[in-house]
Amino acid sequence: MVVVKRRELTFWERIYLPEIFRGLAITFKKMFEPRVTRQYPEETLPTTEVTRGQPRLVVKDDGNIACVSCGLCEAACPAYAITIDGQETERFIEREPERFEINMLRCILCGFCEEACPKEAIFMSDELELADTTRQGLVYDMKRLERPASTLKPRIDYVRRINERW
Amino acid sequence: MSDLTKQTSGEPSTIERVEITVNGQTVQARTDKPLIQACVQAEVEVPHYCYHPGLTPEGSCRICQVEVQQGKMPARVMVACRTPVMPGMVVNTETENAHDARRECLEFLLKNHPLDCPICDKAGECTLQDYSFAEGQGEGRSVEPRRKLEKRKDLGDVILLDQERCILCTRCVRFMEEVPKSPQLCVAGRGSHSTIETWNDTPLSGNYQGNLADVCPVGALTLKSFRFKARVWNLTKTASSCGECSRGCATTVEVLRKGEVTRIRPRHDEDVNGWWICDTGRFALDAFSLADRLVGTLLPSASRGWDATSVEDGLQIASDMLTTGDKPLIIASPWLTQEEGGELLALGQKINAQVAFVSTASNDLADDVLHTGDPGPNRRGLSDLGLKAMTAEEILHTASEHSTVLCIGERVGRLLGEGEAEGFNGLPTGARVLLFDCELPEAPTEGNSPIDIAIGLPSSVERVGHWVNIDGLRRNILQARPAPAGVWNTLRLLKHLHELLTNREVQS
Ligand code: SF4
Ligand code: SF4
Ligand code: SF4
Ligand code: SF4
Ligand code: FES
Repeated sequence: MVVVKRRELTFWERIYLPEIFRGLAITFKKMFEPRVTRQYPEETLPTTEVTRGQPRLVVKDDGNIACVSCGLCEAACPAYAITIDGQETERFIEREPERFEINMLRCILCGFCEEACPKEAIFMSDELELADTTRQGLVYDMKRLERPASTLKPRIDYVRRINERW
Repeated sequence: MSDLTKQTSGEPSTIERVEITVNGQTVQARTDKPLIQACVQAEVEVPHYCYHPGLTPEGSCRICQVEVQQGKMPARVMVACRTPVMPGMVVNTETENAHDARRECLEFLLKNHPLDCPICDKAGECTLQDYSFAEGQGEGRSVEPRRKLEKRKDLGDVILLDQERCILCTRCVRFMEEVPKSPQLCVAGRGSHSTIETWNDTPLSGNYQGNLADVCPVGALTLKSFRFKARVWNLTKTASSCGECSRGCATTVEVLRKGEVTRIRPRHDEDVNGWWICDTGRFALDAFSLADRLVGTLLPSASRGWDATSVEDGLQIASDMLTTGDKPLIIASPWLTQEEGGELLALGQKINAQVAFVSTASNDLADDVLHTGDPGPNRRGLSDLGLKAMTAEEILHTASEHSTVLCIGERVGRLLGEGEAEGFNGLPTGARVLLFDCELPEAPTEGNSPIDIAIGLPSSVERVGHWVNIDGLRRNILQARPAPAGVWNTLRLLKHLHELLTNREVQS
């Protein structure tokens, strides 16, 4: 057990008012100094390609989803946030997702899915905000996850650059 | 016992064993089996593609190379699957030469192999993946383009062939020749133009095609019905037995996300089915995904519909019905396990009832490989217990002498309506009919429901117990998924009913 001794207050501290004025003086002084806090949500932080936001699915330039529903992101996801069902497609790639859901309430934004994907089909976007009034509303389906490759371009290039180093 | 199991389990009367060394361990190896089996015995894994313990060894893939030293000869690399066991062999699977040989062999196998793993149904249980990961090199060295072949070749109703993925191990060819004894596949072309084909593109036929997807070590032959249904690592696997005929083949029931039975595959059982199952058993998935499961208790309501209540209340009503009126008739389904059969017999004795089971009509699926043609998995067991075997017609005939009929067990409702029998409509009007089944039989077109109470039962992927197959062997079934909420375990249900009947006796 540690006994912490209280410091005896001095006379001036005990009469209280001088300390109040000292505090207020600081407050008033700061009012005339430049502001350092950010006015979120009006003012958002700039995002870069390094920003690891929420995972999103790539829609290729030909309008098709890049994902082949291989299930590797599902297996890699430590939070069990992803659920995928596959189906056959007439395209050359043969297989595509029928259902691709990410439970954004479970997602911990770790980026493992992006790392696991062999098809460059899932990337961490710069989208950070997440709000809804129901739990089910935060289980994102394919429609809500799809993003054109062009909007994810900076991140895709960044990940390729990083992967080249290995 | 069928031909096939004789062929696979037929141990010669005197098994000759000799002493050899595998990776420093001494093993007593059988001389009638290839060297690779001695390695298995020593628990040393040797990669293999063309070798399958249930087929004649061929030695075409060369991936099973190990270093063998014998007598005064210098150590040499040879294929473990086609080398006979000789006394005093010193086998080493981990030498540099053996590793080199296998790695180089893999490089050739992968030379034309497409990078399909993300879309390939075999991924996760593919030995080409496994051994490439274990022994292969990270990158390919070839600069030539890969072979382009047919990727979705239709081989009939069951199997789809991807010729690009094929590594030409010929397991499929040998399987068709040796197990169902109907050679339908062949290697066409030569060298790097070889492909697996059927004669003139005739679709495959027979009741054993599904096994092709299992014997193929890669994703070249895949099941159409399983195509892109699931990733194999998401399947929960449970060892069980097939209930589609009285052979009771050992199976693995694979369930996706705790619900849907997605695949049934054979499990090795030397005495019963070897390595195979028939397609009837493999694709009998409908029985486990009934659209209208009977859950809880249903009582016919005045408005020709059903009123639901709990199983507990239902059993109370059932015990009332069973104790009023004269000698009841109990009809079991041959899907009941021995445990359930025994309990049912005890219950029958308590209420002085006649206990019989539905003797299913044999179908035309019987062959000399596995299928017995008798769809009831526990016919032998229930007969041994003392239940009387009766056909659906006989039962309906006898039922007219009873005022209470209890039909119990998976599919019993369907069985009573098979063939000439009219099912529940054929039961005498005025008789009280109790149905304990997984589903309700089709509603009669007119008049009131012939069923007076219906209680839900678990199906055979939701129970634990054992059947006795045609040869008198114990066939265990295990629970692969939980029964739907509101469905009691059959044993618990029977015990509870028994207790209710006992209490009633004590009271009166
Ligand atoms: S970011 Fe991580 S937690 Fe979120 S879906 Fe991807 S793998 Fe799962
Ligand atoms: S890892 Fe990529 S290709 Fe595979 S399922 Fe996930 S997003 Fe689709
Ligand atoms: S056969 Fe095996 S290695 Fe080839 S694509 Fe399929 S999983 Fe991959
Ligand atoms: S299809 Fe499969 S089993 Fe048949 S030869 Fe090719 S790899 Fe072997
Ligand atoms: S397994 Fe031995 S050569 Fe193929």
